[in-house]
Amino acid sequence: MESQARVKFYCDEARCIDCHGCDVACKEAHHLPVGINRRRVVTLNEGLVGKEKSLSIACMHCSDAPCAQVCPVDCFYVRADGIVLHDKEKCIGCGYCLYACPFGAPQFPKSGIFGSRGPMDKCTFCAGGPEETHSEKEYKLYGQNRIAEGKVPVCAAMCSTKALLAGDSDSISLIIRERVLKRGSGTASVPYTWSQAYKD
Amino acid sequence: MTNHLADIQKSKAIIIFGANPAVNHPVGFQHFLKAKEINGSKLIVVEPRFTRTAAKADMFAQIRPGTDIPFMYGMINLILKNGWEDKKFVAERTFGFEEIAKEAAKYTPEVVEDITGVPAQQLIDITRVYAQTKPGTLIWAMGLTQHTIGTSNTRLAPILQLILGNMGKPGGGTNILRGHDNVQGASDMGCLAENLPGYFPNAEPGFKHWANVWQVDFEWLKARFAPDMMFKNGFSLSRWWQGVLEEETIHNGPAGKLRAMVCMGNGLISVAQTEKVKQALDKLELFVMIDIFPHDAIAYTDRKDGVYLLPAASQYETSGTVTATNRSGQWRYQVVNPIYESKADQDILFAFAKKFGFYNEYVRALGDGKGNFVWPEDATREIAKGVKTIGLSGWLPERLKAHTDNWHMFDELTLEGKGPMKGEYYGLPWPCWSDKHPGTPNLYDNSLPVMKGGMGFRNNFGLKQELNGVEYDMLASEGSVPAGSTQKGGYPAITAANIEALAGITLTEEEKAKVAGKAWHTDLSMILVNKALEAGLCPYGNARARMFVKEWADQIPRHREPLHSPRTDMVAKYPSFKDKPNHFRVDTKYESIQMQKDWAKEFPLNLITGRLVTHNGQGIESRISPALSEIYPEMFIEIHPDRALKLGIKDGDMVWVHSPEGTKGYMKAKYSYSIKEDCVFAPFHWAGIHQGKDLSKNYPEGLVPYSVGESINTVTNYGYDIVTQIPETKGGLCRIEKA
Repeated sequence: MESQARVKFYCDEARCIDCHGCDVACKEAHHLPVGINRRRVVTLNEGLVGKEKSLSIACMHCSDAPCAQVCPVDCFYVRADGIVLHDKEKCIGCGYCLYACPFGAPQFPKSGIFGSRGPMDKCTFCAGGPEETHSEKEYKLYGQNRIAEGKVPVCAAMCSTKALLAGDSDSISLIIRERVLKRGSGTASVPYTWSQAYKD
Repeated sequence: MTNHLADIQKSKAIIIFGANPAVNHPVGFQHFLKAKEINGSKLIVVEPRFTRTAAKADMFAQIRPGTDIPFMYGMINLILKNGWEDKKFVAERTFGFEEIAKEAAKYTPEVVEDITGVPAQQLIDITRVYAQTKPGTLIWAMGLTQHTIGTSNTRLAPILQLILGNMGKPGGGTNILRGHDNVQGASDMGCLAENLPGYFPNAEPGFKHWANVWQVDFEWLKARFAPDMMFKNGFSLSRWWQGVLEEETIHNGPAGKLRAMVCMGNGLISVAQTEKVKQALDKLELFVMIDIFPHDAIAYTDRKDGVYLLPAASQYETSGTVTATNRSGQWRYQVVNPIYESKADQDILFAFAKKFGFYNEYVRALGDGKGNFVWPEDATREIAKGVKTIGLSGWLPERLKAHTDNWHMFDELTLEGKGPMKGEYYGLPWPCWSDKHPGTPNLYDNSLPVMKGGMGFRNNFGLKQELNGVEYDMLASEGSVPAGSTQKGGYPAITAANIEALAGITLTEEEKAKVAGKAWHTDLSMILVNKALEAGLCPYGNARARMFVKEWADQIPRHREPLHSPRTDMVAKYPSFKDKPNHFRVDTKYESIQMQKDWAKEFPLNLITGRLVTHNGQGIESRISPALSEIYPEMFIEIHPDRALKLGIKDGDMVWVHSPEGTKGYMKAKYSYSIKEDCVFAPFHWAGIHQGKDLSKNYPEGLVPYSVGESINTVTNYGYDIVTQIPETKGGLCRIEKA
């Protein structure tokens, strides 16, 4: 039976190779302008033998999402499956969510000459927004709605090594458990992003 | 590749020399990661730079550029000392091993440490793991080939695998990762200056074979060449400019210097010596560029006329086969008709052939021979008919289409077909000897019958060879033979003269007449190949792999320092080759450049080049994508902070990178711990800024890439492989100054 568990992102650092398949796929799929990065790939300790790690990061769709808690106009809403979305027409571009987010996920277009920010943009887990599903308006404001088509987010679909996993947490846990068993390296380490976002 | 990408999942040890698959083959790299996960495979990376691949490695040796041969000989030395070699394999299936053993003995771990900079203990540790963990696969790419000794590098790597008995085994082999779509196919089709399609020699027998396939008169073909020029190798891609500039003697026959060039789908700026390329483009009388859009090469020439752009269609606007890195074929269907005024490559070539007056001969082997043919199916049939050397006889359009249509019916790990595709390997990896042969997933695997993809080594170097006064048999030993064979050991390549004796059959008079004077690769009737296959024989014979090549400058691979070596003290001990005259129509300097001066004094930094994950090749296609350009938006050179600070260079400062060629490049310095202090790394994806001068205004309107930058090939040094003339871009020298 399908699990009722919430959706999660997981990036397997043993597999992520900094190939940028995910962020470029995201940018192309949703037609995002240069400077708006719903997903980013970072490499830490570059060039240091034994310490270099690559990681893909975006909005983690946190449980108890800090962005939603601080929003002064209450533009965020959380779907039953845990996907955290927001209403761009309500958003006033204040930037509080950016300060609250542990991952730096919220993005703001910098268009105005006085630095006015415009409504926030972030990863939708490829689930669109509050507008009518698959409407032109939804596509224009939030990009593709792949979840409504029964597809996983485009970043995870594109991932060349399947380091980036997206889906319900039970399935993801199962995949990770299998990989760890095969690697024989003991228990799976819970990545920082995971514990920070989902408190488990 | 001797094996295929998924086969790497079966490896228990993987050693990589001069390749960075995590960046250059990110999708393929999943197989490396799975090998680690599933097999606990040990990943070993030997490389001057701590790459993204090295970040996933279990062992990493930071080698000085251009010293792979001492490292590999060091491994062989330890293998032989410890008895880790596969004695049976070496005795039964190789030739010249004693010479290798003699040379290897010189390379103790201490000697290797002195040359390569890799600590002796690390060499010992790596060798112990790699030699004792079977099967092991050996991977390489341009880091091994782009040296004056590139050919020796790429000989010694398979020799190491032969000694360990890793060849012809699932999870073993030498797996060279091709860098672009259909590079393997382009090579197979003779897009080289030195051979004909199917690697037929650029000599009378080769031309006679193709005249036979094309149904044209050999004398007619001959008449189209200037006297004595027919069998001469052409200019190589890396040195064509010399034929235009004629600064030194060229050997181009009565035609003299080159005056016109047609460039079909090549970036031109991606080869070494960008300044020379620019000068040559300026000096040509006629320059025709055939491509899907005008790109960097146009911007590099200052000329105002004599340049023609012919719009070519992209691969989505035409159809046909391509060949993957593992020798498998793929049929690609047309998605849309060519848009605007663009034409498919073949239509452009047909139009030229008509104008030049040889269209009838050009298409005679297609369809009914009178110009009624189906493209590209009939061309695929022509390839199947003529290219038997690598076994494309089974690549019929119907079969290749069926594989593309039914790719879900194949096992992704073994390539074996299921259901209606049972009994075939995906993409019919060559050699696919006949219309009934399933293809060959792993080369040289003699545990399988020939009709299931088994084979020995090719008999291509005679039956006997003399070495140090002893005559050696070049055929495989008794007992070493593909499974299910009528023979018990080695046998020569199949010819009309030996087929009856080898296959134990009698040919009819009619068959005899058809195959008279032919061999397996020239017999268009297929009688020889089919009779051999029926007897379980591999058409090309069953012989020994050759470690010793009598005719070459280096009969066994030998270490020679790069022309511009940072270790002047090593040059005396490991000097380069004597200068080589008249090779690919130009003279090539080795010793005379190496000995000219102490290059390292003026140019103290080792320069290596390579790829970034979001760009491809010269960046022609990727620098016009905003999403890809955003990630790596500008040209840079990686330098170790300790070295940079000594030079007064801060992270992000603009610098001049000076070349021994007298040229210089303008780019941004990027601090990096990935390279040692005496080495710098630069990507080769940029063009559009030449020696600091922005060429943006030279691009046609609206076609300036999102990102332009200095081409590092303006800085890479002179130096060309002794056999193939590939440029030495992975191990030159440079000097960096704050701009």
